[in-house]
Amino acid sequence: MHENRNVERRTVLKVAGATLATVGLGATATACGGGSGASGDGTVELRFSWWGADERAKRVNESIALFEKKFPKIKVKTDFQDYQSFWEKFQTQAAGGNPPDVFQNSLTFLRKYDKRGVVLDLKSQVDAGNLSLDNLRSGLDKLGEVDGKLVGVPVGSNVMSLVIDEKVFQAAGVTPKQGWTWDEYFDALQKIRDTQKVAGDTGYFGIMYLYDLYLRQNGKAFFTDDGLGFTEAELTEWWQDGYNRVKAGIVTDPKIVEQTKPKSALAAAHGASEFTWDNFTVRYATEGDSTYGLAPIPTTDGKQTGQWLGGLMLSASARTEHPEEAAQFIDFMVNDPEVGKVMGYDRGTLTSTPQFEAYQPTDAPNKAIAQYEEDVAAAGVLGEPTPHPAGADTVEAAFLRISGDMSQGKTKVSDAVKQFFSEAETALAG
Amino acid sequence: MGTAVSTLVKNPKHAPPDTPEKGLTAPTAPRGARRRENFAGYLFMSPWIAGFVLLTAGPMIASLYFAFTDYNLFDTPKWVGLDNFTRMFEDPRWQKSVEVTAKYVVIGTPLKLLLALGVALLLAQSRRGQGFYRAAFYAPSLIGASVSVAFVWRALFSDGAIVDRTQSYLGWEVGGWVGNPDWILYCLVALTVWQFGAPMVIFLAGLKQVPRELYEAAEVDGAGPLRRFWSITLPMISPVLFFNVLLETIHSFQIFGSAYVVSNTFCGPADSTLVYTCYLYQKGFKEAQMGFASAMAWMLLLAVALVTAVLFWSQKKWVHYEEATR
Repeated sequence: MHENRNVERRTVLKVAGATLATVGLGATATACGGGSGASGDGTVELRFSWWGADERAKRVNESIALFEKKFPKIKVKTDFQDYQSFWEKFQTQAAGGNPPDVFQNSLTFLRKYDKRGVVLDLKSQVDAGNLSLDNLRSGLDKLGEVDGKLVGVPVGSNVMSLVIDEKVFQAAGVTPKQGWTWDEYFDALQKIRDTQKVAGDTGYFGIMYLYDLYLRQNGKAFFTDDGLGFTEAELTEWWQDGYNRVKAGIVTDPKIVEQTKPKSALAAAHGASEFTWDNFTVRYATEGDSTYGLAPIPTTDGKQTGQWLGGLMLSASARTEHPEEAAQFIDFMVNDPEVGKVMGYDRGTLTSTPQFEAYQPTDAPNKAIAQYEEDVAAAGVLGEPTPHPAGADTVEAAFLRISGDMSQGKTKVSDAVKQFFSEAETALAG
Repeated sequence: MGTAVSTLVKNPKHAPPDTPEKGLTAPTAPRGARRRENFAGYLFMSPWIAGFVLLTAGPMIASLYFAFTDYNLFDTPKWVGLDNFTRMFEDPRWQKSVEVTAKYVVIGTPLKLLLALGVALLLAQSRRGQGFYRAAFYAPSLIGASVSVAFVWRALFSDGAIVDRTQSYLGWEVGGWVGNPDWILYCLVALTVWQFGAPMVIFLAGLKQVPRELYEAAEVDGAGPLRRFWSITLPMISPVLFFNVLLETIHSFQIFGSAYVVSNTFCGPADSTLVYTCYLYQKGFKEAQMGFASAMAWMLLLAVALVTAVLFWSQKKWVHYEEATR
C-alpha cells in the first residue's frame, strides 16, 4: 500500500506538472496576444482604456478612425468603463504588469501610479518630436508634470463651478454675481427655500474639490505635497455647518440624493444648485426638465474664488512596447483639429489652441462652458493647481462617504472628522 | 503549489475512493496494470486537479501569506505579523461590517427557513395545481441571485416606487427603503427571503419521507394537527432542517452581489449595507490594501467554521436521525 502511494504520488506530480506547464504556456501565449504585439507586416496594436459612457465612446471611436487613417500602421483597441470600475480594473491590470498602453488619467491618480512606476515619462518622446506640448493653452502645460517628469498630457480642461437651476433662481429673484460671498450664497439658498419650497443646494459639504476652493480662499489648500492642508477643527466647522443646513432644509436631504442616484438631485428638482466640474454640466440638460446655467463660486473676501484649471489627461504605460506610437497617438488626440471637432467639450474644454479654435460649440450647455472658462480667466482668479499626493483618490472617496454618514446623522460630526483623518492618514501613507 | 499537490495525495480523504478500485483490480494484479489504470484515472482528473491547484488551492495559500503582510498589489509584500488582525478590531468600519452581516444573517436566515417550511407544509398536501405552485415558488431561487433582479429590487423599493406607495397608502411613511440607512438592509433581507424556493424543495422532499403510518397512529391516539407537527413532523424532518440551517447560514455570511447592486456599489448609505465581503472588496480592490483584505477573508472563514462547528455540536441535542433509534 505504501509503495503504491508513492507511485500515485509520482504519477500525479507528473500529470500536475504537465498540466501546469500546459496552462503556463497558454497563459504566456495569451499575455502576448493581449499585449501590444507587433505583427509581421509592421502593424502595431495599441490598447487604449478610458472611463466614460456611450456618448464618449462614439466620439472616441470616431477620433480613432481619423488616427488610423493617418497612421495606417497603428491599430488602436479601446476598452471603457465607468469611473469607479475603470480604476478598479486599471489597478488590477497595472498590478499584474499588463496595463493598457495609453489610458485616461486624472490629477487624483497621477502621483499614485507614478510612485508605483506604472506611468511612462513622456519627456523623451517630446524631445524626439513624437509629441508636442507647444500648443497647449496657458496654465495647462504643467498640469501633467510630477517631480519634473511628464506623466500626463491634458486633453480636456475644467474648472469647479456652481451649476444652478435658472428657472428656480429667477423665480426666487436671486442673481449670482462674480465675487459674491458665502453669506450671500447661503442667504440666497434660504430665499429659495422660503419662496420656492425646494432646497437650495444638493450637498456642498461632501465635495472635496469645493472644500479645497474654500481653503484656498483662506490661504490653504486641501492637500499639501504629502498630507492634508487643514486641521480637524477646520473640518469640524465645515461639516457642522453643513449638517445644520441640511437640518434647516436649505440643503437637500442626503437620503433623497442617495435615492435619486445615478441621476443628479439637481436634475431631479430636489435642489436648485450643485457644485461640480463645469464639463459635467452637459448631463443636467439631458437629465432634467429645467434650464441650467453656470454661476460663479462664492468667495470669502469678495474676490478670490480659489479656482484652478484641472483636467483629464492621457498617459502612457511605462511597460508599453511601443512608446513612440503611444506618444504619436496622444499627440494626435491632443493636437489634431479634426479630433477637436469630434470630441467637443466631452472631456472638458479642448486644451490645445488648434483644437480649441477648430471647435465652435453650437449648443447652449457647451457654449456656456466656453463662456464660463473665459469669464473665470478674465476675472483673474485662476491659481496653480492644488497638489495631489498619492492616495488622493482614496481620500476623496472617504471625504464623500464620511460626510454622507455625518449628514444623515449616523455619525457625530466630531467622530466623523476623527475617522476621516485616520483614513486619510492611512491612504496617504500607502 | 507543490505542497498543495503532495498534501492532496497524502491525505487519504482527497485520494480517489478505494472501494471501486479494489473491486476492479484484484490485489494480486501486476503492478504495471494498476499503474496504467491509475495514470488514466489521474489523466481524466487532471483538468479538475489543475483547476483546483491553480484557481483554488494556490490563491488560498497565497492569501494566507498575504494576510500577514502589508501588500498594496505593487510593492513586495512586507511581513507585519498579526498587524492586520489587530487592526481589524480597532477599525470602526470593520466592526460595522461585522454588525451589518450578523444582523443580515440572524434576521434573514430564520425568516427564509420559516417561510420555506411553511410553504412546504402547504404544498406537501395534494391539491389541484400543486405542480404549478411548486414551480412558481421555486422560480425566485433560480433568478434571485442575478444582478438584474437586484436592479429590479432597487427600483421596487425606491422612494415613490410601488412598495413605498403601498406603505404610504397604509399610513406608514418611511420614504422608500433604498438610500434609507434605517431600512435598506431589510430590502436585502426581503430579497433573500424571497428566494426561499431552494430550502423549500428540500423541506418538501423531507416531508414526503415521513412515514404515513406515524400520522395514522397518532390520529388514532387523538393527536391534533399541532401536536402531530411538533411530535412527528418536526423530529422526522430535523436532519433536513439541520441541513437547510447549515447551508443557508453559510450562504448568508457570504452575501455580496445584492448589497453591491442595491446600494449602487457603495454599500451605503452611511455604511448601512456594508456587509463583510463588501468591505473586503473595498479594502482589497479600491484601497489596494490586499494584505488587510486577505486577513479579512481568513477571518470570515474562521467565523463561518466556528458557526458550523457550533451547529454540528448542537445537532446532538435536536437533530433526530431515524436510524439511531432503531
